[in-house]
Amino acid sequence: MKYFIRILFAALTILSFSFLAFAEEKIPVFPEKPVEVYTIYASLAVFWFAIIGLIVVIKMKLNEIERIQKLGIDKEDPHAHRLE
Amino acid sequence: MIWPKFKDWIDERYDIAGLKRLAKRKLIPQHRYDFLYYTGGITLFLFILQFITGMLLAFYYIPHIDFAYESIIDIVTKINMGWFFRSLHHWGAQLCIVFVFIHLFGTLLVKSYRKPREFLWVTGFILLVISIFFGLSGYLLLWDERAFAAVRVATGGAGALPFVGSFIKIFLRGGVDVTGDTLTRFYAFHVSILPVLSLLLIGIHLLLVQYHGMSTPVSLEKNQHKEEPFFPNVFYKDMMIWLVVLGVVVTLAILLPPEIGKKANALAAPPEGIKPEWYFLFMLETLKFFPGTILGFNGETIAILCVSIGIFFFFLIPFLDRKSNRNERSPVFTVIAVVYILYFITMTLVGFFN
Repeated sequence: MKYFIRILFAALTILSFSFLAFAEEKIPVFPEKPVEVYTIYASLAVFWFAIIGLIVVIKMKLNEIERIQKLGIDKEDPHAHRLE
Repeated sequence: MIWPKFKDWIDERYDIAGLKRLAKRKLIPQHRYDFLYYTGGITLFLFILQFITGMLLAFYYIPHIDFAYESIIDIVTKINMGWFFRSLHHWGAQLCIVFVFIHLFGTLLVKSYRKPREFLWVTGFILLVISIFFGLSGYLLLWDERAFAAVRVATGGAGALPFVGSFIKIFLRGGVDVTGDTLTRFYAFHVSILPVLSLLLIGIHLLLVQYHGMSTPVSLEKNQHKEEPFFPNVFYKDMMIWLVVLGVVVTLAILLPPEIGKKANALAAPPEGIKPEWYFLFMLETLKFFPGTILGFNGETIAILCVSIGIFFFFLIPFLDRKSNRNERSPVFTVIAVVYILYFITMTLVGFFN
């Protein structure tokens, strides 16, 4: 039993070291520090809020333009008197 | 105070008001397929994004066989926000090619290529080829084992073309095999030749769009449809869509940054499960249909020839579709367009999940 445990321990040690030796070293393509990861995800959320905000502003502006166009008061009157 | 003075200074020299009047005069038809107009604008926006991120990456990239891979690792791990701009460039490229395809297939379905817009189709088609070559050349710049093997397969496939194949292969590789010369050559293509060509073609394409105006589908041409001015209505809508696209690219860049494999080694066996970029998958799957030899001829050569004929026919569609040119419905070419689109999507999906 003693020998069996020793052999098993040796085999496990060799195996684990060999796995470590052949483990593919992955190149970090994204920051790994938790604080950096948190900052990036928080920035992404703020970025989306900004995008949605800008879209809302542009949409409101567009609605106003379309309303003016429907009223027909966006065109220049060629007979309008000029200020001297 | 400075802005009105600057505005007056510009107005005295250039007819900005005239340009504004011109933009307001340009009318865009409104109908149920008008969303397709925006795909061209999205592609343009992604091209601009690619130019900007590409310029930033070019500051740090070293196009040499011994340093290319290391310089990308430096960009990703050491340069401030380098990982983000590399990822943005990667996802921008993927989405750019997606939208070029959507724009092209949309044009094909609503037959916007018909007379007098054949040259618009030609410039758009060449821009698609350029975009794909942009993708292939940029892929090799990473100089990892997957990129190396994929470029070897892609350039080898071009070599199977009869008569000109060998010349194309050697021209692209800068020799008989993918080496450091290929890297230098692909870098030259990626950062100088292709950008100049694409800028020129985008310019011509946009000028032709302005010259011909927007096309309406044959089925809707006789109907009375509303029109809206390009500026400010469509311009504002473009802005909103561009913002969403920017958000999507940035999100993809953050959530799915592209991996970097092991450094390329010409003597090592290619990695298992190697696949080219997604826009080559339909071609790869088509090649698998063909046996090794057909009636004593090389099966791969015949397969490449068949694919080339298919692509050439696709390119010639505006010149062959006579009915559309007479503003008549042409169901045969609609069926052909649907077959092309379904084949491309199915084969790409099969290749992706295979």
